[in-house]
Formats: sequence, structure tokens, C-alpha cells
Amino acid sequence: MDWFYIKGILILSGINLMAVLGLSLLTGFTGLFSFGHAGFMAIGAYVTAMGTVKLGLPFAAALLLGAAGAALASFFIGRITLNLKGDYFCIATLGFGEAIRLILDNVQYFGGARGWPNLPRSTNFTIVVILNIIGIIILANLINSRHGRNFKAIREEELASQTIGINVFRYKMTALMISAAYAGIGGGLLGHYLGFLQPKMFQFIKSTELTITVIFGGLGSISGSVIGALVLTSLPELLRTFAIWRLVVYGAAVVFIMISRPQGLMGGYEIPVGKIFKKLYYRLAGCIRGKQAVGGGKQ
Amino acid sequence: MKKRVTLLVGCVILTLSLALTGCTPAAPTETPAEEPEVVKVGWIGSLTGDQAVWGTCELNTVKMLFEDINAKGGLLGKQVEVIGYDTRGDATEAVNAVRRLTAQDKVIAVLGPNASGQALSISSVLDEMQVPDIATVATNPKVTVNDDGSVKPFNFRVCFIDPYQGAVAAGYAYDILGFRKAALLYDVADDYSQGLTEFFEKHFVEKGGEIVAKEAFKSGDVDFRPQLSKIKEAGPEIIFMPYYYKEVALSANQARELGIDAVLMGGDGWPSEVLLEMAKDAVEGCYFVNHLDFDDPDVQDFKAAYTAKYNLPVELNGYLAYDAVQLLVHAVEKANSFDPVAIRDALETASVKGITGQINISKDTHNPEGKDAAIIKIENGVYVFQQKYSAK
Amino acid sequence: MSGFLQQLINGLSIGSVYALMAVGYSLVYSIMNFSNFAHGGVIMIGSYIGFFAMTAFEMPFAAAFCTAALGTGLLAVLIERIAYSPLRKRNAPFLYFIISAMGVSIFLENIIIASPIGPTFRTYPRVFGAEPFVVAGVNIGRLDVMMFVISTISLIILVFIIEKTKTGMGIRASAYNLRASALMGVNTDRIILIVFGLGGLLAGIAGVLFGMKYTVYPQIGNITLKSFIAAVFGGLGSLPGAVIGSILLGIIETFTSGYLSSQFRDLIAFVLLIFILVVRPRGLMGKTTEEKA
Repeated sequence: MDWFYIKGILILSGINLMAVLGLSLLTGFTGLFSFGHAGFMAIGAYVTAMGTVKLGLPFAAALLLGAAGAALASFFIGRITLNLKGDYFCIATLGFGEAIRLILDNVQYFGGARGWPNLPRSTNFTIVVILNIIGIIILANLINSRHGRNFKAIREEELASQTIGINVFRYKMTALMISAAYAGIGGGLLGHYLGFLQPKMFQFIKSTELTITVIFGGLGSISGSVIGALVLTSLPELLRTFAIWRLVVYGAAVVFIMISRPQGLMGGYEIPVGKIFKKLYYRLAGCIRGKQAVGGGKQ
Repeated sequence: MKKRVTLLVGCVILTLSLALTGCTPAAPTETPAEEPEVVKVGWIGSLTGDQAVWGTCELNTVKMLFEDINAKGGLLGKQVEVIGYDTRGDATEAVNAVRRLTAQDKVIAVLGPNASGQALSISSVLDEMQVPDIATVATNPKVTVNDDGSVKPFNFRVCFIDPYQGAVAAGYAYDILGFRKAALLYDVADDYSQGLTEFFEKHFVEKGGEIVAKEAFKSGDVDFRPQLSKIKEAGPEIIFMPYYYKEVALSANQARELGIDAVLMGGDGWPSEVLLEMAKDAVEGCYFVNHLDFDDPDVQDFKAAYTAKYNLPVELNGYLAYDAVQLLVHAVEKANSFDPVAIRDALETASVKGITGQINISKDTHNPEGKDAAIIKIENGVYVFQQKYSAK
Repeated sequence: MSGFLQQLINGLSIGSVYALMAVGYSLVYSIMNFSNFAHGGVIMIGSYIGFFAMTAFEMPFAAAFCTAALGTGLLAVLIERIAYSPLRKRNAPFLYFIISAMGVSIFLENIIIASPIGPTFRTYPRVFGAEPFVVAGVNIGRLDVMMFVISTISLIILVFIIEKTKTGMGIRASAYNLRASALMGVNTDRIILIVFGLGGLLAGIAGVLFGMKYTVYPQIGNITLKSFIAAVFGGLGSLPGAVIGSILLGIIETFTSGYLSSQFRDLIAFVLLIFILVVRPRGLMGKTTEEKA
């Protein structure tokens, strides 16, 4: 395997991971299902591109602007749709995603359906990795805080959470806005990685791929989302030599995972990154100390 | 606090391990390139998704032609292996596929893709890896030229571009057929359709014609009666339908069902045996802009060979894939080398007689310059070549 | 005036197309409480079965029609057994069903592309003739009339089964409360299979009719996305709701294209959908039971 090719896959995994992390908060921890996150990616992508190309902002500022744009859009969408339940919320987000695409198709300022070529190619491997780490840290801290417990409470028992005084609507809104901001950054990275944007990139199928990734990794698990994004972005690449049979295998794999391990890879558990290193640290320290002790004995 | 620190450390380690796994294989690229026994040629395009019909035909054509070449002794004495990757019609997948083709498979050149979106997104990879690409039917002008007018060093194509085709269609409709009132129906979610619409409208209005209705649908739609009913009330003499033949057949059938008898006109998304099968009577007497005259003897040979081998009709993309192969073979022979950069240099001044006409690549645009368009009329259920026409 | 009438007819015709799909959706939803995204794939297979029955096996239209309906009925049952029933036994949340259904849908579409059938567009032989009926300056396609008749008949038969037979009573009871009806001695496993079978039959009928009207190709199932929206419009789980929602969506779309803007048609339809959901969060005639915790 060539590094240039692998790097491409890793960058894409990282970009997808940004969006998946956000969706993980919304779906995995708050229990809301969205089929419109490609729409938030699209908003992030186009706003970021507008920032760098039309306003001449530095990439980092433009990315933040993209995230803010996506979050703002999610605020308006959330205000009217967050009270809807289950499939009704799903369909509302689905409609939103399609509507965003339709608007972008029609806006000739951004190139319409013909796309927006020649964007600066600012996204590179390092930026993607750094942003992913920041994203994971923020999310992990949020999940382990008091707010994180409230999100999970809403996922488990919405009515009960309401009764014990959790402002369900506000928490749902927060989750939606944060997830939209993450998706927006993912979109901004994507546009500046490809150097080209086209509304076609943000189809319904993109939204479902994101949701599939979250579920594949395991609802309510950040490490699951990380693994899910890495595996599911590279899986189609590994299957590339199958040519036309590739998506047949992909479809069958999705069904197989659902029926054989519906809790996903991690099933709500985290890889105890901290613990592993603590253990490693003590063992290492113990080793050194032991050696010193042995050495000391000789003296 | 402790938790946070350990988490942070964990993340750093994770990244490092990611970076490390990546770093190791980087070394072997510097090993001296020994002459490979087989040279590889890449192809990308849609083998799945809604463009699969066209992509499959392209890959079949490319494979068939190189099999012929191999049987005749190969290219510069070497056997050629064709590696084709599916893009699902997705720009992101196209980037992955080209990264794999150029970095891992080490192809000497890439053929395809069949859509501008994918062609636009792969150019940075081509520049980085210094491998030329010959697009088949990517008609957006920006595929080979940057915004500032400079040419993209590794992007080439064998087809004419949207502005040209739009101008040809508008010119022919206004000057030759004498129509003054046109209606437009287009696919708002498709780049090709939007491009053609824009340039048809521009040229038709410049000439003094009037656009009486401009209606849109969205890719995937199958019912066009609401738009057509509106167009009917505007009473156009000609309806321009710049999209692919499945939608053309459906919309043409529905237009006739609604009692619209205006002449229909289209672009190079039309030609296909399937169009005649699907909408035989509905498209009778209609015109479209094509890349070639189907009755040309060269075309017949290729068509017969393809149909005999695959038992499928040849789609338009097949002819352009044919020419892309011709152009590549010519460039390799001219460069007398399999070095991608040498091939690129040879492509810049290449001139070869293709199945769709003489292809003279221009150094400044990387487009085939001065390619005439063929106007085809559907008469008695067959495609009848009218004339070569070029827009002024 | 004739322009307005023509658009009304267009809307009705498009709406009845959506209705045929939306009813299949809603039927499954009423029992299982999830959106069966594999329905589009089953419809697509139905139109292929009908097509090959008529061309390769030279069956008459009626025979091909029945073959397709039976074939997809079986396929739907098979899908239930493979992709949903393991989830059902585990009481998995509805999203797992949706994802599983999407997996099935990706699988079905691509297995057709990968198989020797390939991605080529295929045209049904003409059965009903091309000449439209002209009534008061309004053109009505023969096929549209036939589609309307066939879908009405199938829906009447469906309503008869649900309202008048013992199995139908079981379906209604299960739709009201699956667990309680199991306790009351209804063989819910059988009921679920029957519901999927019925949904499959409807998908086959829809598939053949679509194939005739819009040609056959692997992505034809994608139009079911619209019927899903229509089903939500009408209220998921309600059959009359699905029909009314579909007709409404068809008419709204048509009039938007005709009188406002065809470029922004779906946007306007979506805004309306949101508006209806805000006013009536369960759609026009949706089940009013509280979400099961």
C-alpha cells in the first residue's frame, strides 16, 4: 500500500469522523436520529469556501465561520422540528437536507449544480488530525460532564428527564447545534481537500452513510465512532477491486452487522484509553523502580 | 483533571500510531524504477449509481481496445493492463480512485471520468502525482482551464465543451431551423444540464430569439407533466431538453401525451439506441447535437465489434472513450516512452484522427479545438445525419 | 381554465402513483413502527419481474402482473425473515430497523447492476396504447387511467382484507398494540409475515405500473422517497392518511411547478410539510398514541 493513497483515505476518514462525532452526540448520546446531516456539511462547506475565497479569511477563521453557519441553520431547523417524535423528526431532517441541496443547486453565486472549482487546497493530514483530536477532547469532556449525563438521560427516558427538571428541548437543541457545527467543520475540510464543491456531494445517501457509521461504531461510544469512521471509510476502498460487486457487499455487510451485532462494534463502551496508559505507566514505572531496587541491592 | 490529561495523552498516542502506520511504507518509492513487464492504464467512472450505463460502456470500450492492441503485439512492445475503478458518480470517490491508480497501481495515464464534477476534483491529485488524465465527456470548460485562464497541466479531454455545444444548438435552432420562440426544460440538480441551458439561453437570446418558458426538474424525477403543461401554455416552437436520454424519453412521451407538438431539441445526452426504443414516435422529427455521424464507416466497425463482444448497444460515451484511447496510444508512441510526464508533453501537441473527428489538442486549453458538431435528426425512427455545424 | 384542469389531473395522477407506494409503507409502519426503506428496492424488483415475465417468457400482461406481485410478496417476506425478524426478537430500537432496511435497499439496487441484467434502461411493451383521452381540452393518458383503476381496486381489496376478515382483525389489533394482541392469542409472528406479504404484493403492483410508465432501471425505487414524505404528510401508520397525503403532495407539487417555480418545487413542498407537522405533529391522520418508551 502506498502512503499517498493511504493518506488520502485517512484524510477522508478524518473528515467523515468530524461529522460522525457530531452525529454521535445527537444520535448516540441524545437519541435523536437525523437524515439531514449532509445538509449541515453542505452549509459548512459553502460558508467556509465563501470565507476563504470571497472574503479572503484565513482557513481557520473560515472553518469557524462554517461551523457557526451550520449551527445557526440547525438552530432555526431545531426550533420548529425538535418537538417532533421519531420518524417525524427523521423525515423533517431528511427534507431539510434535500432542501439545502436544492437551494445550492439554484444559487449561481456559488456555481449552482455545476459546482465551485478551484478552491484553495488548505486541508492537509496534520490539520485533519489536530482538528479530530480537539473534537474528540471537547466531546469527551462534554459527555463526562453533568450535561453529558443529561443528554443520556433524555436518550433513555425523555418523559422522566422532563419530570426531574431537565430542560429537554434546550438539551436537544444544544446537541443538534453542536452536531451541526461538527458537520459544518467536516464540510469545510472536505471542500478544501477536494478543491471543489458540488451540491451533488451532499445527497441523502451521504446523510445515511453518516448515520450508518455512528450505528456501526456503536451508539453512545466515542471510540466506536472513531473506529466506525475509519473502518467504513476504508472498507469501500479495500473492496475497490471487487468493482461492481463492491456495493452489494457493502449493503449485505450493513444488514449483517445490524442483525448480528445491533449494538455496533463498541456497543456503548469506550476503549479505556486512559486506563490502558495508566496501567502501562505503572508497569513501566514499576519496572524501572524494580531495576533500581535490584541495582540498589548490588551496591 | 487527571481524566482529562489521560484522555489527552491517549489521543496523542492514537494520532502518533496513525502517523506511524502511515510513515513506514513511504520509503520504497525511491527505489529505482525498473522497467515493468506490463504497463498499466487507469480508468475511472461510474460503474454503479445512476450513471452506470455510460460508465460501463466506457470501461468495456477501453478494455476491448487494449485487448486488440495487446493481441497485435502491445503498446511499444509491452502488454497493457487496464485498471478500472468505480466512482459511483461521486467526486470524493473519484479522488480516492485516482490516488490509488497513480500512487499504488502506478498507471501511465488515467482515462475518464465521464462527468465534470469528478474531473474537477481529481486535478490536484494529477498535478501532485504528475500523471495525465484524458476525460471522455466532462464538458465543463473549467475541467482543463483555471479561473485565471491558465491551463491545468495534466487535464485533457476529447469532447467539445458546454459553451460550444450550447452555441451550436442555439445557432442551429435560430439560423437553420428558423425558430424564434424556445422553451427550456432542464435538470436543476445536474451540472451538465445547467451548463448547456445557460449557454443555449445566452446564445439564443443574443441572436434575437425569445425564451418563453424556463422550467426545471430534479435528477431522479420521472414525471414532467406539470412543467410541460406550463410550457404548453407558453406556446414555444421548439423545446430544448439538455439532459440524458432516459429523462428525454420520459419527458418527450409525456409532452406528446399532453398534446405538445413543438420540435424537441437536445444535446449529446440524447444519442442512444434506447432512446428510440423508449420514445420512438415522440421524438420523431426532433434534432440533437452530437459528436459524430453514426453512419461513418469507421463508426460501423467499432459498433459491430462492440455489440458482438458485449451484446449491448454502444452508448455515446463509448465513442469518446474510443477516441481517448486513440489519443493516449498516439501520445505514448510519439513520446516513445511510458513516462507520464513525457506522455503529457506529447499530449499537448497531439493530433490524431478519432472516430468523432479530427482531434487537435490545443496547448493553451487542452481541449480538442475546431471539432465540428454533427446535427442529427430523428426520421422514421432512425438517426439521420443532417450536417456538420460549427458555431460562429 | 383548461390549463388549471390539466394541472389538477397531472397532480391527481402523480398523487395516485405516490399513494400506491405510500400505502405499502404505512401498512408496515402501522405494525412495526418503522419506515421500511427497503420498500423501494422491492418495487424495483417487482418491475423487473414483470418486465422479464412479459418479454423473456412472453406472458400476457395479467399473468406477468400476478407473477410480479407474488414474487415481490415472497421477497418482502424473505426480507422480513432475514433482515428484521432477528432485530424484532431483540426488541431493537426503530433506527436499527431503518438501517437494516437501507442495507437491503443498497444490496437490491446493486445486485441488479452487478448481475447480467445490468444498469441498462428497459422498456415495457406497450399494452394500453399511446393515444391519450381528450376530455374538455384536458389530455389524460390511457396508462394513467389504468393505473388509477388498478390501484383503486387493489386498495379496495386491501381495505376489505383488513376490515372484514379475521386476519384483518388480527392486523388491526396488532397495529393498535402488538404486545397486547400477542397476549390475547393473536399469532403476531404470522400477522407480521402477512403484513409484509401484503406490502410486497402492493410493491409488485406498483413496480409493474411504474415500469410501464417510467421504464425499468435499478434506481427506480428511489422515487419512493417521495411517497415516504407523502406517508408522513398523511400520518404514518394510517392507510387513509397515506392515500390523502399522497394525493395532496402530488397536487401541491404540481401546482408549485405550474404556478410558482419548478426550480424550487421540492423546497416549497418541504416547507409545507414542516408547516403541517408543526400544526399537527402526527401528520393529517396519524396514530395518536404516545411514543412507546
